[in-house]
Amino acid sequence: MTESESGALHRRRFLKGVVFAGGATIAAPAAVRAQAPEKPNGNASPPTAAARANERENPLQVDRLTTEKTGSDFMVDVCKTLNLDYMAACPGSTFRALQESFINYGQNKRPEWLTCMHEEVAVGMAHGYAKVAGKPMAAIVHGTVGTQHAAMALYNAYCDRVPMMVFTGNAGALDERRPGVEWFHSVQNGASTVRDFVKWDDYPMSLQHFAESTVRGYTLACAQPPGPVFITADAKLQEDPLEEREQRKLTIPLLATPSQTAGDANAVREAAKMLVASDAPVIIADRYARSQQAMDDLVKLAELLQAPVIDNRSRMNMPNTHYLCQSERAGGLIAQADCILSLEPVDLYGQLNAMRDQLERTVSSKAKKGVKIISISTRDLLVHSNYQDFQRYVGADINITADAQTTLPSLIEAIRREMAPGGNKPAEMRGQKMREAFNGFADRAREEAALAWDASPISSARMYMELWGQLKKEDWALVSDGDFSSIWPHRLWPMEKHYRFIGGSGGYGVGYQPVAALGAALAHRDAGGRVVVAITGDGEFNMAPHTLWTAAHHGIPYLTIIQNNRAYHQEVMHVQRMANRHNRGLRNVPIGTTIDNPNINYGKIAQGYGAVGIGPISDPNDLSEAFRKGLAAVKAGQPALIDVVMQPR
Amino acid sequence: MKHIILAFTGLILAAGPTCAQQGSAPAGNVENGKTLYVQVGCYQCHGQAGQGARMTGPRVSRTEFPFEGFLYQLRHPANQMPPYQAAVLSDQDAADLYTYVRQMPAPRDPNSIPLLKAER
Repeated sequence: MTESESGALHRRRFLKGVVFAGGATIAAPAAVRAQAPEKPNGNASPPTAAARANERENPLQVDRLTTEKTGSDFMVDVCKTLNLDYMAACPGSTFRALQESFINYGQNKRPEWLTCMHEEVAVGMAHGYAKVAGKPMAAIVHGTVGTQHAAMALYNAYCDRVPMMVFTGNAGALDERRPGVEWFHSVQNGASTVRDFVKWDDYPMSLQHFAESTVRGYTLACAQPPGPVFITADAKLQEDPLEEREQRKLTIPLLATPSQTAGDANAVREAAKMLVASDAPVIIADRYARSQQAMDDLVKLAELLQAPVIDNRSRMNMPNTHYLCQSERAGGLIAQADCILSLEPVDLYGQLNAMRDQLERTVSSKAKKGVKIISISTRDLLVHSNYQDFQRYVGADINITADAQTTLPSLIEAIRREMAPGGNKPAEMRGQKMREAFNGFADRAREEAALAWDASPISSARMYMELWGQLKKEDWALVSDGDFSSIWPHRLWPMEKHYRFIGGSGGYGVGYQPVAALGAALAHRDAGGRVVVAITGDGEFNMAPHTLWTAAHHGIPYLTIIQNNRAYHQEVMHVQRMANRHNRGLRNVPIGTTIDNPNINYGKIAQGYGAVGIGPISDPNDLSEAFRKGLAAVKAGQPALIDVVMQPR
Repeated sequence: MKHIILAFTGLILAAGPTCAQQGSAPAGNVENGKTLYVQVGCYQCHGQAGQGARMTGPRVSRTEFPFEGFLYQLRHPANQMPPYQAAVLSDQDAADLYTYVRQMPAPRDPNSIPLLKAER
């Protein structure tokens, strides 16, 4: 062994050594038995001249088979400097050294390793977790195939602007790869599969490079607008020994928590003037609030202007118990508005315009001509070309490229300065109208909820109210989107705290709900044991039913309710639309869109994964008892599932 | 998708005091209307009890809209609703449907339901 090689375990020789050693172990007893009577002490002939010459040129190498410290240990050291509590993974050999280092060298603490049964679960879990914990968690995915599995969950997280650290492994140089499988799982450019929808990626070439890129990546993931960061951990870097003298040269950069961007003072002042001058201002909050403080600030702003807030439910933005939460009247308010303040809009064009989905698509404006638009958003700071999540362009009168949450306090101050001393009479009158309208919302919701109260299949309103009957006694959190069940939770339940709700998937990638719920439930567990509920469509749930095993295995309690309409109902409506458009009748619409014949028993599936499984429940009068049992299991620390056979929406 | 499926809010079909008068509807068959309500997929957007759903379709139960307007909306929807042409749904079928949704059971008073009772 040359001096330059002496410090490094040569992986190819290591593997060869394993093969030889294994072969010897198996073969030795037979060989000993066969040779023992004739050559008990091995009496070889003297070496020939050629053999002696060969030995001089190729001295016998002693394979180094073990080491006490590897590059992967250092990678764990790096990750431990980040604020990461968990690393979720479905196992894969391209990160085998890292996994071993995390669970042994890193003592499986901060981050703790979580076992998932699909890479989409590992990443989707990090998505839900970040929206509750307010910080990233990590996931690690197998090279190539694991990255492909993870892709949709990464896309959702990117569209939803959620931070996370995602690692992968890669076998590296060809002369270092084992023949066969390792080639299939090797890639020149592993991030290319997902580069269009991560915020940043890197393939570090050295351990120092890994340290800097990982710390940089964490900082970038958290800087507004946040997003997933993808780091490739080269397998040779992971598995090579790390000698003391090499380790001494390595440094881990200090993790600097980024402060976020606030709006330019001049633009904020102009926005304040425009809002104060407005007769009919409307505030639209989309992916705005990341904290209770942000919600409180929005209430302050709305009260100051006596302006209605339309909460688009991408986050928990505005308490629906406040009279200025006027989402119910979104259409009418936008039609009357003369100034719209949009906070972190997801699709401002779609908010201001309607497109008719008929054979000929036509667009009509929902807003008044000449309406002033103020946008405060980090959206322009993270736009990629290929995937079209950026929606249609809207030219705002004042476009403040900054974090809306960070900017709001200065906007509030600027508005106070612009307002005439002694109050604002028109604003007070607006407020009175808002109170009157608000008082009608609850009555209307109750009347509509009563319409199919006794129906079977069970109406979504009945399900939500029966659940509320049990849940209202708890400190609860809803970790699923209500848009696919007629927005009932926002209409019927009081939602006044930021942690009550986390918004939806971002990219409408089906499968988000069960996996994000798992991660959100983990964060809620760590926050002090809130009672967590996820209402999940049957089509969604079938993308990742094994989330329940991960929940049972790691002691993550939450209640999953299957909104079982036995169909991919959104697609039922799309195919029905096409059949109508083509005048072909609706007889065949169920082909490819329904999930029946046979019906799936989700309660049994839950039980199989080690969770409490209840149902199917078809009689609305059985809901109360089922929810009581399910919530009792959750409060006892178990994941539970209740299968409710329901109407489409 | 949220906007694609966006509410048929303000849909003409919705019951309301301004469209209280009933037009000259042909006689309809309730039983056939009930079958059609499922067969042609009305319930997918409007609910099995005609209760409506916020993001797919408004209430049709006990509609007070006149038949002519009901039929016109089926044939030439003003909004996102898929069109139902005569090849798919005849005028008589439309009348049967109309008769069925008109006679759907009256909704319960929310105050008679403990979970929906107004908190005063």
